[in-house]
Amino acid sequence: MITRRFFLRAGTMALASFGLDPLFLDRAAYAFPGLRPAGKGKTLVCLFQRGAVDGLNMVVPHGEQAYYRDRPRIAVPRNRVVDLDGHFGLHPELDVLKPLWDNGSLAIVHAAGSPDDTRSHFDAQDYMETATPGVKSTRDGWLNRYCQHDQEHEATPFRAVAFGPQLPRILGGAAPSLAIGDLRTFGLQARRPESKDKLTRAFESLYQGSATGLLASTSEESFEAVQMLREVDPTQYRPADGVDYPRGQFGQSLMQIAQLIKAGMGLEVAFADIGGWDTHVNQGADEGQLANRLGQFGQGMAAFSADLGELMADVVVLTMSEFGRTVRENGNRGTDHGHATAMMVMGGSVRGGSVYGRWPGLDGSDLYQGRDLAVTTDFRDLFAEVLQGHLGATDLGPVFPGHPLDPSRFPGVMGR
Amino acid sequence: MTPRLILAATLAVPLCPGALTAQALASAHDSAVHVLNRLAYGPLPGQVDAVSREGVWHWVERQLDPESIDNGVLEVRESDFTLLAYSRDELSREFLALQRERRERQAMVAQGDTAEAIGRGMVSDRGRHMRRLAGQVGQLVVVRATVSNRQLHEVMVDFWTNHFNVYLAKGLDRVLLPGYIEETIRPNAMGNFGDLLLATARDPAMLFYLDNVQSVAPGSMPPELVRRLERMSRSGRRANGTSGARMDSLLRQVEARLPRGLNENYARELLELHTVGVDAGYTQQDVEDVARILTGWSLSRRDDRLRYHFNAWAHDAGEKWVMGERFPEGEGEQEGRRLLAMLARHPATMHHVSRKLCARFVSDQPSPGCVDAAVAAWRRSDGDIPTILRAMFRTPEFWAESNRGAKVKSPLEFTVSAVRVLGGSPDDSPGMARVVGQLGQPLYLQAAPTGYPETQEDWVNSGALLNRMNVAMSLAGNSLRGVTIDLTAVVPLAEDTDQLIDAVDDRLLGGRMSATTRAVLRRELESLPDVASRRALAVGLAIGGPEFQRQ
Repeated sequence: MITRRFFLRAGTMALASFGLDPLFLDRAAYAFPGLRPAGKGKTLVCLFQRGAVDGLNMVVPHGEQAYYRDRPRIAVPRNRVVDLDGHFGLHPELDVLKPLWDNGSLAIVHAAGSPDDTRSHFDAQDYMETATPGVKSTRDGWLNRYCQHDQEHEATPFRAVAFGPQLPRILGGAAPSLAIGDLRTFGLQARRPESKDKLTRAFESLYQGSATGLLASTSEESFEAVQMLREVDPTQYRPADGVDYPRGQFGQSLMQIAQLIKAGMGLEVAFADIGGWDTHVNQGADEGQLANRLGQFGQGMAAFSADLGELMADVVVLTMSEFGRTVRENGNRGTDHGHATAMMVMGGSVRGGSVYGRWPGLDGSDLYQGRDLAVTTDFRDLFAEVLQGHLGATDLGPVFPGHPLDPSRFPGVMGR
Repeated sequence: MTPRLILAATLAVPLCPGALTAQALASAHDSAVHVLNRLAYGPLPGQVDAVSREGVWHWVERQLDPESIDNGVLEVRESDFTLLAYSRDELSREFLALQRERRERQAMVAQGDTAEAIGRGMVSDRGRHMRRLAGQVGQLVVVRATVSNRQLHEVMVDFWTNHFNVYLAKGLDRVLLPGYIEETIRPNAMGNFGDLLLATARDPAMLFYLDNVQSVAPGSMPPELVRRLERMSRSGRRANGTSGARMDSLLRQVEARLPRGLNENYARELLELHTVGVDAGYTQQDVEDVARILTGWSLSRRDDRLRYHFNAWAHDAGEKWVMGERFPEGEGEQEGRRLLAMLARHPATMHHVSRKLCARFVSDQPSPGCVDAAVAAWRRSDGDIPTILRAMFRTPEFWAESNRGAKVKSPLEFTVSAVRVLGGSPDDSPGMARVVGQLGQPLYLQAAPTGYPETQEDWVNSGALLNRMNVAMSLAGNSLRGVTIDLTAVVPLAEDTDQLIDAVDDRLLGGRMSATTRAVLRRELESLPDVASRRALAVGLAIGGPEFQRQ
């Protein structure tokens, strides 16, 4: 596959040899709206629900008697569930996602999770981000390993971006990746725009002149990123008409991801997280604590999809959480740490409108260790399928070490 | 330069004959800059000259013997940190009391207590106090690194904290970590490796972080649980069948709380990270046997004190073999000590840890010469840390021109060296620790047991580099929260641009400013009207520029 960059480089050399201005072609290419500036033009957005979301109240198995029996005070009432297929339904606060299910761009994988039995948030998140369940010393995250091993996407400063103050485990590693708290404050800070430009220029020439090795190449990337953002001007961004992102960090992160995608910045993998799912006490049913959180989560995803519109054809959003929660409610109208949960996959290339994964059931003997929803889809099989099916990854062995890939285990969410 | 060179040579030779050609080639000034960059968190104002005058090797020898250095200045600063006034036991009591308080309040809300529900999210006095203490944990690192006279000790504390990483945000480690640093890492950082290893293995923070507290011999059960089960089964028989379902549910609850047999986490990291290293040729069976040896190394919670405790009931008494060494049955707690002593003296451990030390002090990619020198000193001294360090500092590699000013500073090193070189004074607010976190190294918050990496690839990325420039500018403008600097004491105001640039080069960059940097500074400074903003810009550009990122 010839990327636009490749074409440009080869073309520039040819034109330069004819004495033409190479910048002309660059400008021409940017001016052509159908062309994305780098790579395959596909983006994967991973959303981590930190704290272990209750998959059973997010995607409700309302066809199961056991669900209502074991959750007398926190089950979502049948008449409030947004039915999907007669057996599963969405929590009412996720009804904004129903149109996406109906148009076939939202799929659900239920009873997904880790083969490791840890019930520690810390360990389980670590395992999910490194994609090596049970192995703690893995240095890098699986999204970073994907970037290391997939060379087809040409490196742009915005290839891999995590929204938040620090780079999360999932993106840590040798491939360059950015942690951005807020696009609007990325770059050098100064009170007045002129001094900001002056400062940027000063540091840029310092590093151009005196930096060596990695400091030189990284600073070049940094200033390229600053320059790219300057042209996009994140402070002026307006989402598509009628699109309303939820307030707060999560909604803002999604909005800025959409903005990077629309601006054609070469964003291939993006990451954002949202906490507040550890509902041990007073979880609530169709209303309450979990409902509020799901409302924010669903509105964010729906706004993101609406904002991107047709561009969603090249975008997949994948949700994940370190584990699920106990089937039975506890003495505090909440749920404790469990095992499998539900994950959502949204986007143009998704075979939506179905719930994937073998459903293990909720009866006593079906439960994992007698208490939790059993895992029937290893999260790595879902992640691998998305990398392969959406980003066209070919070399998945090093991305999921110790887990030989077998497409017959893939849940089947990709490839519309 | 020539007189300095002769001075360096005369100083070097008597202390350390031979093998010092490379150091002899560096001037006393450059040698002082180098040791202050590597054995310390960079120079304080005037310190390069002071160390040159004292003699570089004399200064190094004093640093290798930290007790010999007066540290009154740090003791005064430490007295601001109430955290240090708490013993391990007091901290854990407070923490567990706070946890109970929270649970009770949650339960009251669950039971429909309206007043409690309205007051939700309100923090109790105890909660507020604990939060203040928590804020001191990271800042204390920055303050000590900045003001301590025992600089090499602080560098080694950072090294071992990282080598024996514990993640502050994992459950009880929130409260166990301060004790780990104060009682296990700091007293042993310049001691003997074997003692340090044993101390980490028995420290509640490590036992909890790598799950050894959960590791029990398969099928073993705490005696109090056995008694409870017996009671239950007796009362179950009396009730005769009617409570069968209830009995099931109770049994399930007990089962859910039962330890699940061996947990290999600590055993694996002990071999792979703390001692022999991943390539030492051990097998999965070795890992399992290490885990079996350490079954029972656990925590007691008696009276809310979280302390090391050996649970004899959980110990696997059978025979084990680790890397060809036999551990006969029935040795109990003692065999764990023997195992750790064996690992501490294992050649693979010496090599693995020496290589890491060389990567820290000499080069990201250390040469075999440096590692071999460290290993030889280790063997000779049976793991005496100052002896190993001294041997490393005497290798030609340590002084090689290509290694000087070559390593990229970690965020902690960058932040602290910037504050030190500007004569700054961090306060006891969490401000500076937050800066280190924003630059990519949140203190004690590396989740992976590997600790933070030593190589530049992991510190240099676009966002972090731009952030360093911003931190430099705020620092130069004295607008960084958590620290005060007095620029005038370091770089006096100067009308003449070249004079200003010379001062910046000499005081902040140890004379390493490149010609391009000089030209850029001159160009940028010219357009500014007043001397104060010229100085601030020059200082900010120097600290945020490429030369200062290296050590």
